[in-house]
Amino acid sequence: MSRLLAIDDLHAGYGAIDVLRGVFLGVDAGEFVAVLGPNGAGKSTLLRTISRYGTSLHGGRIRFDGTDLKQVSTERLVRLGCVHVPEGRQLFGTMSVEDNLRLGAFATNRAALARDLQAMYDRFPQLASRKDQPARTLSGGEQQMLAIGRALMAKPKLLMLDEPSTGLAPQIVEQIFALAGDLTREGTALLVVEQNAYLTLRHAHRAYVLEGGSNALSGTAEELAANPRIKEIYLGGSAG
Amino acid sequence: MLAAFAVVVVVFGVVARADAGLVQAGTYVAIFAPAAIGLSVLLGNVNQISVGQAGFFGIGAYAVGYLTVNQGLPFWIAAPAGIVVAAIVGVALGFIALRFRGHYLAMATLAFGLIAVGVFHASPLLGRASGITGIPFPQLGPLTLNGYPAYWAAWIVALGAALLTLIVLRGRAGRAFEAIRNDELAAEAVGVPTRFWKIVAFAYAGALAAAGGAMFAAFLGLVNPDAVGVALSVDFLLMVVLGGGGLVAGALFGAALIGFLNVAGHQYDNWREVVYGGLVIAFVVFAPSGILGAARAPFVRARRAAAAKAARAPSRAEGHGTSFPAVRAPSDEPLRVDGVTKRFAGLIALDDVSFALRAGTLTSIIGPNGAGKTTLFNAICGIGRPSAGRIAIGGVDVTGRRPHRIAALGVGRTFQNARLFDEMTVLENVVAGAPRAHGKDAAANASALLARMGLAHLAGVLAKDLPFGERRRVELARAAASEPWLLLADEPAAGLNGDERRRLHADLAALRDAGTTVLLIEHDMKLVMAISQRVIVLNFGKVIADGDVATVRNDPAVVAAYLGTAS
Amino acid sequence: MLQLLIAGLTVGSEYGLIALGIHIILRATRAVSFAQGEFAIVGGLIALSIVDALHVSVWIALAGATLAGFALGIAFERVVLRPAGRAGETGATIATIGTVFVLLYGHALVPSWGSEPHPFTPFWPSSNVTLSLSKGEPPLVIPAQSIWVAALLAVALVALYLFFERTYYGKAIRAAADNPLGARLIGIDVRSTRAISVGLGIALAAYAGTIIGPITLVGGAAGFALTIKGFVAAILGGLESPVGCVAGGLVVGVLEALVTAQFGNDVAEPIVYALLLVMLLVRPQGLFGRRDAVRD
Repeated sequence: MSRLLAIDDLHAGYGAIDVLRGVFLGVDAGEFVAVLGPNGAGKSTLLRTISRYGTSLHGGRIRFDGTDLKQVSTERLVRLGCVHVPEGRQLFGTMSVEDNLRLGAFATNRAALARDLQAMYDRFPQLASRKDQPARTLSGGEQQMLAIGRALMAKPKLLMLDEPSTGLAPQIVEQIFALAGDLTREGTALLVVEQNAYLTLRHAHRAYVLEGGSNALSGTAEELAANPRIKEIYLGGSAG
Repeated sequence: MLAAFAVVVVVFGVVARADAGLVQAGTYVAIFAPAAIGLSVLLGNVNQISVGQAGFFGIGAYAVGYLTVNQGLPFWIAAPAGIVVAAIVGVALGFIALRFRGHYLAMATLAFGLIAVGVFHASPLLGRASGITGIPFPQLGPLTLNGYPAYWAAWIVALGAALLTLIVLRGRAGRAFEAIRNDELAAEAVGVPTRFWKIVAFAYAGALAAAGGAMFAAFLGLVNPDAVGVALSVDFLLMVVLGGGGLVAGALFGAALIGFLNVAGHQYDNWREVVYGGLVIAFVVFAPSGILGAARAPFVRARRAAAAKAARAPSRAEGHGTSFPAVRAPSDEPLRVDGVTKRFAGLIALDDVSFALRAGTLTSIIGPNGAGKTTLFNAICGIGRPSAGRIAIGGVDVTGRRPHRIAALGVGRTFQNARLFDEMTVLENVVAGAPRAHGKDAAANASALLARMGLAHLAGVLAKDLPFGERRRVELARAAASEPWLLLADEPAAGLNGDERRRLHADLAALRDAGTTVLLIEHDMKLVMAISQRVIVLNFGKVIADGDVATVRNDPAVVAAYLGTAS
Repeated sequence: MLQLLIAGLTVGSEYGLIALGIHIILRATRAVSFAQGEFAIVGGLIALSIVDALHVSVWIALAGATLAGFALGIAFERVVLRPAGRAGETGATIATIGTVFVLLYGHALVPSWGSEPHPFTPFWPSSNVTLSLSKGEPPLVIPAQSIWVAALLAVALVALYLFFERTYYGKAIRAAADNPLGARLIGIDVRSTRAISVGLGIALAAYAGTIIGPITLVGGAAGFALTIKGFVAAILGGLESPVGCVAGGLVVGVLEALVTAQFGNDVAEPIVYALLLVMLLVRPQGLFGRRDAVRD
């Protein structure tokens, strides 16, 4: 069986500058895969390149669900079943929580919109109690939930999260990772980019560690959690 | 270019002398040219739009009308008075303009133009709707400047304005304008007082327009509100956009084109304006640098290509072993950050951060994304006042000072995304790094610095043509150009390859050895651990660890902040 | 006094609609349309031609002009705003000024339009509504056209409100204006929502230019002044606030009527423009706008 997402020897960056210098990565259906690495390793660039915005693709191949993404626009990727919750969440700040969620279903058949919306409120009770508030008035944790909820309204096969833990309190981060676990059990695959390595490794199935724009380590979460090289990659090798 | 234009003016003046209509058309062009040159400086060199340029033209014209007709003063007193008034009003408009950019600035300047016309229109002293008539022709000794002599007089003024502008643009003002146009924030960070120079640009543009207005009143013998309305402001804009903003000869060319079409295209009324409108759209889309800019483009491209080729030639000196001139901080404590807190809309980016640096040391600030590192740099550099706390640089309290004043103390800065002045060459970038140095010295010092850093072969390359690694080094050179005793470097290693990192390491070490106190934000832990005497760790805006490399690396709080907790 | 108020509110309705169009286009494209008033003039002229050529009722002409405005708006976005937007905000602004020239002088070239204004068929044949307020005072005479303008303003506002607040696609357009990247990431084609927004903004101008036709005539060179009044209205009420734009338009209309009656037109114009500058300086977010992010 071929992988849901398969990335081969990806070179990409900004303008002529390569940030990714040969990245290999695969995600199977229903799998929770993490991409770890220190700041500047190219993690966000990787997600942006998959979503085809802001970066330029210099070489290599990205296939999602059998389609080569080279010619696929950001807008169309959603219709293929890959949804990206980016850095900064990119909510519609002046619009209500409910409108944000409803618009998440823009690219899908909206016949069951009301039912899907209810299901989302069941999943995120905090959002139900704030459904008429403008999104920008939510707390950071609620905004992250809303961003994930909005993305889930598109019924993705693969959900990509960019640093979901940034700036959030530990118990909220815990809640978000628990949700990620639920989603994979329901069959949605996850590709999560994170700096917070140990926490992520407790929830993910497998992980890749990037360093300087290329693969440094990969393996199952258990293997990596036990690997001392991770700490070296994050906090500087044995130099100094 | 200007000389060629002057030749055309002279030839035209000689050839057309018998044809009063042509002479008049030529005079018109000269009358409108100074205002177009002024607007070209504003729009093309400082990137400030103005839809109110006719207001200044009107001030010059009405000053001459009122002072000569109502007060009986000679033109030679009235015209300078008008120019001075326009410059003062320009300063006022410049202050207003500081608060706006883009379309708000367009509306604010439009409002200025409308108010000026409204005042002319409503003022009984200025003749209300009918304006002022019977303005005497200027006398120059026995010569009355009217008709054919007026052509020459007007062109002497117009070409004089062009020459003056060229001289101004070649000097410090020009360098400041160019830096502002390329990147306002970076301009401030290298010590360019951007607000001051923007106001200067508005005043200068206003003064030039008033000079044109004064000639208008004197040579036509009348002025009324309709003649100096918004339509004229739009005409000036048209001249600059068609001719090429930022190029003195472009503005002259645009003025000549519109001036002649206005006179010669009389029978094509309406069609002519429709074509103007279409041309403006087409030029904005296809040739934003105007006719002259488009004509020059092949030469500019050739020069760029040549510079880029020369840069690839194998003449490159080794960058290792770079040495910088010794500097000394004015106090043992080049930087003290005291209880600095910064809040943005409910979010605390910096929470009671305190530390002090010893002179001549290299300290790194590390921390996860969003920890507040760049916010701290900005606060130190004067970009965004801290919500609480004080910052002292070299023993001087600088809390709330403008960035250019902080830079002027002797503080250099590089940015996370290498903010070079893209449309300037490498040499010009480095020259701009020392905005207070004088002309020749500035260029010589900058060349010497580039040579020391092994970058001399890049001197003529446009910054936007540089590969990323070299952009970083050029930015460092620009920051070093003012010989700072405190250097703040924001992620200088990001995006660099191994060789480039080693070079950066050598450069930073050399700067430190020259006495510069270096504060580094960096994610490349190998570099941080190898180069730093001290490491400060921020997380959620708070200092969570502060000490030497080994201490910090083994601090459990630091490990948890970076990798999470393993439990 | 009341008479002046009514006259002011009537023209103010037009200013408000112009401002609202500027607002919608700004939200979607980040460009300020200097051509808004010219589009209103052209819209009125299109309505005039529909009545003259097809001998249909003014209502059909109004619908036709509005639709034509929408089409012109789509073209304006495609030909001017989108390509010029790549040259930055200043470039886009200059390009809309170029569009002013094309429309202002271009419409004068159309043989049946010319550069002079034309009278336009009233929407309602009867002339006035007379109200007796109290004994002894002269009765209040409200021109029927003013009532129609007010009613048609209300119709436009209600329709826009329903579209943007109640329909799914209307919300998607708002979302794309609010956060274009966020919109693309959920599959909204931001380029087409932009084009439709500009279409709506220009349709609104054409609508405004038509409904005011019976009162102010259609055609002529008044378009740029109209744009500027629209700016004043938008800045007064808040360029980022739709309600503010309309309210600002009404305020500017009334103010202009009162000052003109008191001091004459020569003084009214500069006062209105000075208001623009003062508002820009003192409260650039407008009377009704809120100041985002400055909540320290």
